[in-house]
Amino acid sequence: MTAQEQEAIFRRWLDAHLGLMLKVVRACAAGQQDQDDLFQDVLLQIWLSIPAFRGEAKETTWIYRVAFNTALAWRRGERRRREGHEIFLKSDVSPQVQASHVEALAEREIVEKLYAAIRQLPKVDASLALMHLDGLSYEEMAEVLGISENYIGVKLNRIRQQLADQLKGETDEL
Amino acid sequence: MNFEDMQKAWQSHNASAKVLIDADALLKEVRHNQRHFRAMIFWRDAREVGLCVVVGLLFLHWAIRDHAWFLYLLILACAGVGSFMVVDRLIQRRKQPVANESLKTCIEVSLLQVNHQIWLLKNVVWWYLLPFAPGLAIATGVSVWRSRHVALVVAGGCVYLVLVVLLYWGVYWLNQYAVRRTLAPRQQELETLLASLE
Repeated sequence: MTAQEQEAIFRRWLDAHLGLMLKVVRACAAGQQDQDDLFQDVLLQIWLSIPAFRGEAKETTWIYRVAFNTALAWRRGERRRREGHEIFLKSDVSPQVQASHVEALAEREIVEKLYAAIRQLPKVDASLALMHLDGLSYEEMAEVLGISENYIGVKLNRIRQQLADQLKGETDEL
Repeated sequence: MNFEDMQKAWQSHNASAKVLIDADALLKEVRHNQRHFRAMIFWRDAREVGLCVVVGLLFLHWAIRDHAWFLYLLILACAGVGSFMVVDRLIQRRKQPVANESLKTCIEVSLLQVNHQIWLLKNVVWWYLLPFAPGLAIATGVSVWRSRHVALVVAGGCVYLVLVVLLYWGVYWLNQYAVRRTLAPRQQELETLLASLE
């Protein structure tokens, strides 16, 4: 694979799957600086993994694998590399995004509480919760984690209950 | 609120909606990180093996200059330890976890690596400290034997011996500290993760 091809795939994945990458990062790290660090690690590992991508797995499955494996190896406060480097992420302050109605705000609050609840789960359960919320099939989840679909079913029942319990008190207030 | 409601809220939320990305700057950063990562790995290996080479060359220089045959034992120890490090690193490099493997495989490979690191550090006496011991002992013995001021050299030899023992103990303690502080918790963490997948 040439450098140009690698770059083209990376840009395409970034356009198509940035949301997925950010979800994994936010679910696995709390705090802006930790999230930035983990996000950089995830991007680096995705970049490095591209030459091995043969199209046999779905792009989303591949990215989930790389992102989860990176998040698993990542440790809080281990690296601070951003100083003096280019800033490539910026918050979007466009008026369209700011002008949210009440329902959207409430939904956003639920999502934030979900992130917080997921971060409380053991790492493997957090990965499953994230993929389940994103609507991945049991087969895809089994492929990402390397475990049987039956076992995923058992685990998800428990995780669903845990998330519902954790959010019960919170969402009643909304 | 049931799970389906949560899922609906989750899926309607676009995680990237509030993020603008400068793709060119990002690519530059990723490439920089890749270079940094490779340089870090290279220099880590070079530092370990380089130290053996430098110390070995120093001993060689002294051995030739002073016709000190016993220093060849230390050169041999440097060569042995350096070779062991290189071979071990090459074997371990083949077993690196690949980020696109399944989570379970990645954890298993990481656990094997951590177990190997723990084995290396726990056995540092055998593969790192012991090979130098005969050379150091003979070097001290020959110095004492050759000297005419026996009392002075014996005293010096004792101080030297104490320093060597302290150095050995320090190296050993540092390695065991690294196992307790970093590797054992990581091993436990990985074992817990693996257990949660089985």
